[in-house]
Order: sequence, then structure tokens, then C-alpha cells
Amino acid sequence: MDRLRPDQVIDDKTSLRTYECDGLTGYRVVPALVVLPESTEEVALAVRLCAGQGVPYVARGAGTGLSGGALPVADGIVICLARMRAVLEVDVANQRMTVQPGVTNAEISKVVAQHRLYFAPDPSSQSVCTIGGNIAENSGGAHCLKYGFTTQHVYAMTVVLPDGSVVEVGGGFAEGVGPDLRGVIIGSEGTLAIATAVTVRLLRTPEAVRTLVADFDSADKAGEAVSAIIAAGIVPAAAEMLDALSIQACEAAVGAGFSTDAAAALLVELDGPEADCEDGYTQVQRRCREAGATHVRLADTPHERARVWAGRKAAFAAMGRISPDYFVQDGVVPRTRLGEMLRRMQQMAEDAGLRVANVFHAGDGNLHPLVLYSAAAPGEAERGEQLSTAIAELCVEMGGSITGEHGVGTDKACSMPSMFSEEDLRVMLRVRTALDPDGISNPGKIFPTPRLCGEKPGPYRPHALETAGVIERV
Amino acid sequence: MRRVVVPSTQAHDRGDRVVRPAGLAETVDAVRTSAGSVLVRGAGTKQDWGGRVRDPELVLDTTGMDQVLTHNPADMTVSVQAGIPLRRLQEGVGAHGQWVALDPASARDGATVGGLLAAGDSGPSRQRYGGLRDLVIGVTLVLADGSVGRSGGHVIKNVAGYDLAKLVHGSLGSLAVIGEVVLRLHPIAPSLITVQAPAEARAATAAVLALAAGPCEPSRVAWAGGSAEEGRLMVAVEGTAAGAPAAAERVRSTLADARLDAEALSPEQAARAWSAHDADRNGTEGETVLAVNGLPSELATVAEKVHHNADQAGVSGALVSWAGVGMHVVRFGGGEPDQHVRAVRAMRQYADRAGCSTMLRRRPRQVDDLLEVMGTPPPSVGMLRALKNQFDPEHRLAPGRFGGWLGRDGTQPHGSGGGS
Repeated sequence: MDRLRPDQVIDDKTSLRTYECDGLTGYRVVPALVVLPESTEEVALAVRLCAGQGVPYVARGAGTGLSGGALPVADGIVICLARMRAVLEVDVANQRMTVQPGVTNAEISKVVAQHRLYFAPDPSSQSVCTIGGNIAENSGGAHCLKYGFTTQHVYAMTVVLPDGSVVEVGGGFAEGVGPDLRGVIIGSEGTLAIATAVTVRLLRTPEAVRTLVADFDSADKAGEAVSAIIAAGIVPAAAEMLDALSIQACEAAVGAGFSTDAAAALLVELDGPEADCEDGYTQVQRRCREAGATHVRLADTPHERARVWAGRKAAFAAMGRISPDYFVQDGVVPRTRLGEMLRRMQQMAEDAGLRVANVFHAGDGNLHPLVLYSAAAPGEAERGEQLSTAIAELCVEMGGSITGEHGVGTDKACSMPSMFSEEDLRVMLRVRTALDPDGISNPGKIFPTPRLCGEKPGPYRPHALETAGVIERV
Repeated sequence: MRRVVVPSTQAHDRGDRVVRPAGLAETVDAVRTSAGSVLVRGAGTKQDWGGRVRDPELVLDTTGMDQVLTHNPADMTVSVQAGIPLRRLQEGVGAHGQWVALDPASARDGATVGGLLAAGDSGPSRQRYGGLRDLVIGVTLVLADGSVGRSGGHVIKNVAGYDLAKLVHGSLGSLAVIGEVVLRLHPIAPSLITVQAPAEARAATAAVLALAAGPCEPSRVAWAGGSAEEGRLMVAVEGTAAGAPAAAERVRSTLADARLDAEALSPEQAARAWSAHDADRNGTEGETVLAVNGLPSELATVAEKVHHNADQAGVSGALVSWAGVGMHVVRFGGGEPDQHVRAVRAMRQYADRAGCSTMLRRRPRQVDDLLEVMGTPPPSVGMLRALKNQFDPEHRLAPGRFGGWLGRDGTQPHGSGGGS
């Protein structure tokens, strides 16, 4: 195999535009070429050609990322893995499965559902986002509080390195010998390697699931309830919070039955063996009431549970109901500082003359502030963007992170110095230099560069699939 | 060159310079003001693993870096200096009903958090909680040239930047000195119950797979046997005061379905049984211990190979496995070193065929004269070398670890300056 077929190469201007951005549509760059490999060998061929010519490349899955991580490089190529959708092996006994990188997150679970197995990471875009993209971003999802991230659920990968060589990392089981190279690559945002076959760890579906929504008259009280639940030694599968603005937007969009007069809604889900689950559920209800819940809704049927989650997951797209434009932010603070963070954000929003809606993973302190503005109002977009960036950097000041799950990508590379010293970044770059000395694999991502940091991001616009209701954002 | 000599708690190869820094700054100072090979040592419980470092010019003793830096119980995170013994850390956070969800055998001997991370060591609860790779949320490294690099942070959910903790996990001190570590904590479950059954390896394998397919979510699954025909399976479940006994009963019934006669142990019996398990994992002086990692479904095959290869070599063979995650420890005892070597070689051949990975742990010194310390390098060895060359271009750190995997001839220490 020494060449790709014509139907695997896109070079006409109109078609290339399809690849100009990912889910963060404010950044757009039309690539010079897009290739659609169908095998590890074809990916390696494309990378080898790039390496030989010093041409930068960007690997891309479904393009649902929210940090511009799959933003093309002008004069570079996009290696789109969407055609690599084969399930290569299912090993039910050892609860693992090997797939090509273009297989969607949801498809993995679907294939093994008959064996009562599933793939735990569940980013909201799971119906379309690919396992390859999950690896790049170390994706989590609403249930990562209990189950961890993609790195906890991948045993091995076949990867193509930036010199075009093909290497296996990880042994295909729990742990190999020596440094954890699979863990180094997962979450490296496509800057170190392209995964072309992935052996994932599957979990047995939990025996029982319990979900409730508790209303509070202040976000602080909802936060106290989360702390009380966790202090009681309970690890919820998910603990999600919506503030008043988010509740109103979600209700307008989906009608999930949230109380529109509540200041905060706390969604708690428990799963596991029946006896533990039931016991925990009773305790969670009690802790919510003790923290001052004004109403507790038990989502006791699969239908009710699906409705509650539909409301929660609709949050990003639902903002269109209450604001013409908005920026989606992703930051993390230690959970105990959530209340303080919310108050500081509120103050910052007032100072900027803007509204900020909040929908977040309360269990792990991962905030998704949505900065609402109108592009039609002069100066609002700029103020909104500054506010959004200031919020992310405030997270660092609070002892947290500029990103919990969306990645640094193009969007936050310039905020990295707020979190890491120059020396820290230089040490990280040694990993990059070891594997990609010429910097051709997804350049311009994660690490700040003067050129990049002179540019401005654009506003959040829903991905086409999001507008169409195919995917949701958490 | 500054000479700092601190009385060492352990006997060492002649006259190494031992430095015992109290923190990051002194660690940086120690590597900057020295030249030549460096051995990082915590409690020294795993100095044999993956190759011995012979005659290091500097021993960096981390036991002076033994402080908890921050612990916010409500956030369930703790940051520590790398030299803190895990056992002492557990006592501290345990007062708040929390623990670092890691129960390695070497904790009994004072193993440090940094040493455990560098060795990638874990305990039977790996079944439920994963290893340190899954528990460490931030790390501060000191490189061989004195650079300091921090990655991660103090929050569990964080995807900013490369994850350097993964890079040093299992690196055996060959890439960087681990200075500080941030860990996530878990609540201590109210109740832990151990169910035990006599089980030959085939029946145990079937039972282990049945447990995984069922809803019990055990926290530890261990099988130990002197041969494939006899052994015992231990399964621990944890949960609430009501949940744990219910789970234990279901484990018992799952084992009964696999024709195993299981019983729940009293807390005292369980403590003794797990203590014996830890001792089995460690092995004893004079034994050769080989870690073999593979698939859970291959437990019985591994047990048969151990038995067969031990027989062929004329030594005793025993296996103790975390059967649910396919992490085995093989012990060969009795006989002469060359017989141990023959048995290890045969196990490595099996591992190569079966796609398992292996690492030599404890062994008589003479074994090293007869056996290459590492088996067949993995396909990713080129990546390892590239990383080694970037992080430690002069090959100062832990020469000898990983044998020749990291490039150069790693079996001998390099002279002062390490080629600079």
C-alpha cells in the first residue's frame, strides 16, 4: 500500500470548508487537504508523507470538541478518521473490546449491551463523538465522578507516531511494565500520536440506578448538600447542578419538569449493587432535606430518569432560548469553593453588565459557566469573551484548573501560563520533543505561542449537529 | 563538589554519597551540584525491581521529604512530599474516614508514596480502585538537570497539559525524581468482608470470570496456589453495613455455582489471610520473584506454566494473583540460582507467546550474573528511549534499571558527568 485512492482525498475548496472548525466554531482555518484513511497502514502512510515534507497534520474524529483541538493548520492536512469504524474484537470474558478510532462512544456500549457491559466515559456528545477523540481529550462525562475518565478505561492502543512509525502502547490488560505511555498519550490532544486501534475496558452495567432532583432556594445550599453527601462517604455516579438561569433555559427548551422557581436544582444519581444503592438513596434524600431542599423529585422510572437527563444535557443548546449568543466556559475549582466561585462570578458578570448561566458537575467542581451576550450589541462580544477568560483564570486562582474536560486546544493555550510556570511547560514540552521533534502533529494546540496568543477566539455557536438535536452538550 | 553525608539507614554499596533533602529546593540543589549516576531511594523496599543500580555516585534519600503539605478533607484531596510513608499518610487521612485507595504489601515495610508511584506498585484493592496512575492527580518532578516540572493540580477533574504522573508511573526512578504528589482520596467503606474458598486454578478462573460478569463489584480478588491443582480464592467486598453482607452472600453463591465451597471469614481471619497474601506477594529472601501481567482468563494457564517450569528447573513454584485484573506474582524457591534462571527464562518465553509482560523483582544476587534483568522489550521501547533522552540526556538517573531497554548499556553506571 503506497497511496490513497482518489475518493480518500479531499482537495476542492468547498468540501474542505466542512473541516475548517470543530465544535468551537469561532476558530476557522481551511486545511490544504483532507485525507480519509481506512486502516492503520493508511494513517501511517499519510503521516510518513507529512513527516517527509515537514507538513503539519491534524487528526480529527467527529469534530465535536469544544476547544479548537481539531482546528486545521493552513497548508497542513487533516487526517480524518471517520471512516475507521470497524469493531475489531470483542472479548466478553475479559470485558474488553478493540475498535478502530472512528467508532462512536455510544456504539461501543451498544455493541456489548447484550452482555450487560458498557463503556463508562459518557461525554454528552457520545452519540457522535469518537473513541479516538475521547482519547485525545481524555473525555469524562457526567458519570466520571465515580468512574473516572477515558484514561481509566483504555487498556491499549495502536498508535501512529509523528515519524510515521506504528507502535503498540499498553499491554491490552490492566497494566504493563515500565512508564505508562498509554496514559501519557491519552489526553495529549493529538499532539503526540494518532490512535488507530483502541482496546477499551468494559464495565458490567450496574445492577441498580437511582436518580433524584432536589430544588434549593440558593446555590450555596445545593453546594452544601453535595458536600454533605460526599462527607457521608457516598460517591454518587453523578452530581449535577443547574442555576436559575439554566433551569429556565432548559425548561423552555425541553420541559424536563424542573421547578422554574428554584434558585438551584441538584441532580444526584447513584448506581451499583441494589442494597448499597437503596441505602445511599435514602441517605442522599435526607442530606438534601437537611441542607434545605424545598422539593425532592424522585425519578424512579427509566422514563423519568431519561427526562431528567434530557433536561440536564440540553443545557448548552437551550441557552439559545434566553440569549442570542453565548460563550461556553469549562473550568474546575475544588468542590468546597463552588459557592465562593459562584458569588465571585456573579459579581464579575454584574461588573461586565452581562449574565452568566451555570450548569455544572457539582461533585467534582467542574463548572460550565455560559456567558450570555448579544453580538448585535456593540462591545458585548468582547466583554463576554474577556469575562469568560477571566472566569477560567479565576478557577486557577481558586486552586483549580482552566479545563476539566473540554481540553486546552487552541482556545486556552494562552491561559496555560496562568496555571503552569514557564519551566513546567518546558518540562512538558520535552515529551513533545521526544515524540514529535519537528512539531508537526497538531501544532499550535495546548502550548502558548506568540502568534497564537495574539489572536482572538469567536463566540460559541452550536455545532450543526447540536442545532439539529443530534448531540447535546454537558 | 559539595559533599553532604548523612548516616544512611541501610547498608549500601561502598561509600555512596547519600543526600537526604528536606524538600524540592534541596533536591534541585543535590542534582545540580552533583554529577554522575543518581539512585533515588525512599524506604528501599523495591530497589531490586527491574534491575539494580550499581554503585551510584549519589543516593538521593527521599525519607526527609515526609510531610503532608495540604489536606482538605471536604475536597478529598491531599498533597504530600514524595518521601512520606504511605502507612503514615493513611493514618493521617484515616482520622477523617478517608484513605488513599491503595493497599500495597510494601506499605507494611514503610514504602513511600514516591517510591510506590515510581514502581507502579499497588495492592489487591487495585481491582476496584485502580493503581496510583488512577489516584494521582498532580505531581512535581525534579529532572536530572535540576529543572522542576509540575503537572496536573489539586482537583480530580483536570485535562490541562500533559500528564507527567503517567510518565513516571512505573519508571523506577529512571526519568525524574518525584518531589511532590497530589492524590485523590476515597471514603473508607463502613464494612469489608472477605469470602474464601479452596479452589484449583481452573475452577478459580471460571469463578473469577463469573464474578466479573455479575453485579457484585468486588474490591479484591486474589488467588494463591503452590500448584495449579490446589490453591485458594479470596474475594473481598465492601459496602454499607447492610450492603456488604448482602454482597458477600452473593459472592458465596456465585462461587457455589462454580462448584466452590466458600465461607465468609471473621475480621480476624480476614486480616490474617490478607497479611499472608501480602507476604506471598513479597516473597522471601532467597526466592526469585517475577511479576507477570496478562488477561484474567489466563489465570489457570499461568498457574500451569509456573508449576511446569518450576518442575522442569527443579525448584519450587508458587503463584499469587490479583485474578480479576490479571496481575500475577510468580515465586521460585529452593535450588541454585541457575535453576531460578532457567525457570524465569521459561516463564518469559511463555509471556512472549501469550502477550504478557513481566518484570523481575526480588532475587538472589547471583541470579543477576546469569540473567538479563529484563525480558523482550515491548514494541514501545523506541518511545521509552526517546523520552529517556529528553528527560535525562546524560543517563544519570538509575542506570541499570530496565536493563538495556532505555538505550546505552544501562547495566553499568556511567562516569562522572555522564558523558557531558
